[in-house]
Amino acid sequence: MRYIKEHIMFILPMMAILLGIEFYLVFDRMTSSYESALRDGYSMLAITQKEMKTEDFKKLNSEISQSTRIDKSEIVKQISSNQSQKDTEDIIKALPYFYTLKLSTYVDIDSIESIKKSLLKSNDIKRVETFGDSYYSKYRLFSFIKFTLKIFIFFMVLVSLFLVIKQMEVWGYKHRQRIQVMEIFGAPLMLRSGVLFKVALTDAFTATLFIVIFFAYLRFLWAGSSGVNIMIEQKDLLFQFNDVVILLTSAILIVIISVYSVVLGIKESEE
Amino acid sequence: MANVIHAENLSLSYDQGKKKIIQNAKFTVKRGEFVFITGRSGSGKSTLLKSFYGNLKPTEGSLMVGGLEMTTIPRRKLQELRTHIGIIFQDYKLINEWNVAKNVVLPLMIAGFSLDVQKTQAQRLLKHVKLSNYANRFPLELSGGEQQRVGVARALAKNPLMILADEPTGNLDDYSSSVIWDLLENACLQLETTVLVVTHKIPTVFSLPYRHFTIEDGGVYEIH
Repeated sequence: MRYIKEHIMFILPMMAILLGIEFYLVFDRMTSSYESALRDGYSMLAITQKEMKTEDFKKLNSEISQSTRIDKSEIVKQISSNQSQKDTEDIIKALPYFYTLKLSTYVDIDSIESIKKSLLKSNDIKRVETFGDSYYSKYRLFSFIKFTLKIFIFFMVLVSLFLVIKQMEVWGYKHRQRIQVMEIFGAPLMLRSGVLFKVALTDAFTATLFIVIFFAYLRFLWAGSSGVNIMIEQKDLLFQFNDVVILLTSAILIVIISVYSVVLGIKESEE
Repeated sequence: MANVIHAENLSLSYDQGKKKIIQNAKFTVKRGEFVFITGRSGSGKSTLLKSFYGNLKPTEGSLMVGGLEMTTIPRRKLQELRTHIGIIFQDYKLINEWNVAKNVVLPLMIAGFSLDVQKTQAQRLLKHVKLSNYANRFPLELSGGEQQRVGVARALAKNPLMILADEPTGNLDDYSSSVIWDLLENACLQLETTVLVVTHKIPTVFSLPYRHFTIEDGGVYEIH
């Protein structure tokens, strides 16, 4: 019972830290995907006096990734259905050029205003419409969710780190005598840390395994049958092979730091 | 005979020089000698012993142990030196979660000997200290005298250059004490190991010739 308790005292906080890391990875992938969708769904409208290419817009502002000219005849068709062919052609000639502009990144509302200003500096551009209101509300909501989740993950990892530090104190107390005696007899750091490494690495691998199994279950078994659209569509983002490497590396790094802190913190004598 | 320890104007202190324990000590200990260090409680006997295995660095003067200057010895060299020193403590300092055999072969484990060698040596050493049947027991299952015999066996495990014993019989009855003195005498006689013992009282029955240092008011004096 004591043996299990000793292991659980390190496995649980380690699992919480790894859970925080995995949540962050999943959340980062989800938000990147959502940002791309928002970015792709957003466009500005530019009205120009002469025909312009994407490169011309990019020269004015590097955030512009793509420009598409709106066919003027389509616009005229809707507003001049009773006009003669010649009148229609005259209207088309008189009309300026219309472009929808896509952005390369997901930017905030201030950046959109600054893009608009930089475009209007050109004499060839008469007007720019940014459709800021709907974009702004989506951006604010999205930023708020992103911020609160990051805060939650941060505190989750922080509390877990305190639990790990607590466990380090227990290790220090339990292994003090052995480490001191070994040091007196000339054991190098690696040998003095050996037993503790064995214990901590076993716990770290166990914690990693639990987290990997949990997220693999979410991706391969739960997501598909969850009935939640976003989960079904984005289930590939829930867990990826790279995550195992990241989790394992993080766990090993925590073990190395914890064990060396304990062993180096134990002084040979109390004087 | 070669010098194992050579001290020249040696001073030792705690609290970064504020609490002076030993001052201007000058002495030499040669290979194969048996040395008693006596003195009142708090006189600095254990402190002096600690300086021999690098637990305390000299604040002034020079201290050579096994040909190495202890004032400037690097960490790695100190670890290497310690593998040639057997240390015995009044409170035994055995590792309680290890069995007796594993405790005894700790110096061999540190030196990287194979498990087979460790096993053979554990049997030999435990036979030597008359604890052959105790290999799989744990220290807390043994009496004080038995634990100290394990401590002696551990100190002898690697045929050390010297043995440092800090009040090795301080917690033992007369019979157990005599067993420990016999073991230390044999180590000195048969293995030519230098033995330095810090003690309150030199045993009345002691067959080997020995040197006797005493510590008084921070000075180390030899009694002839």
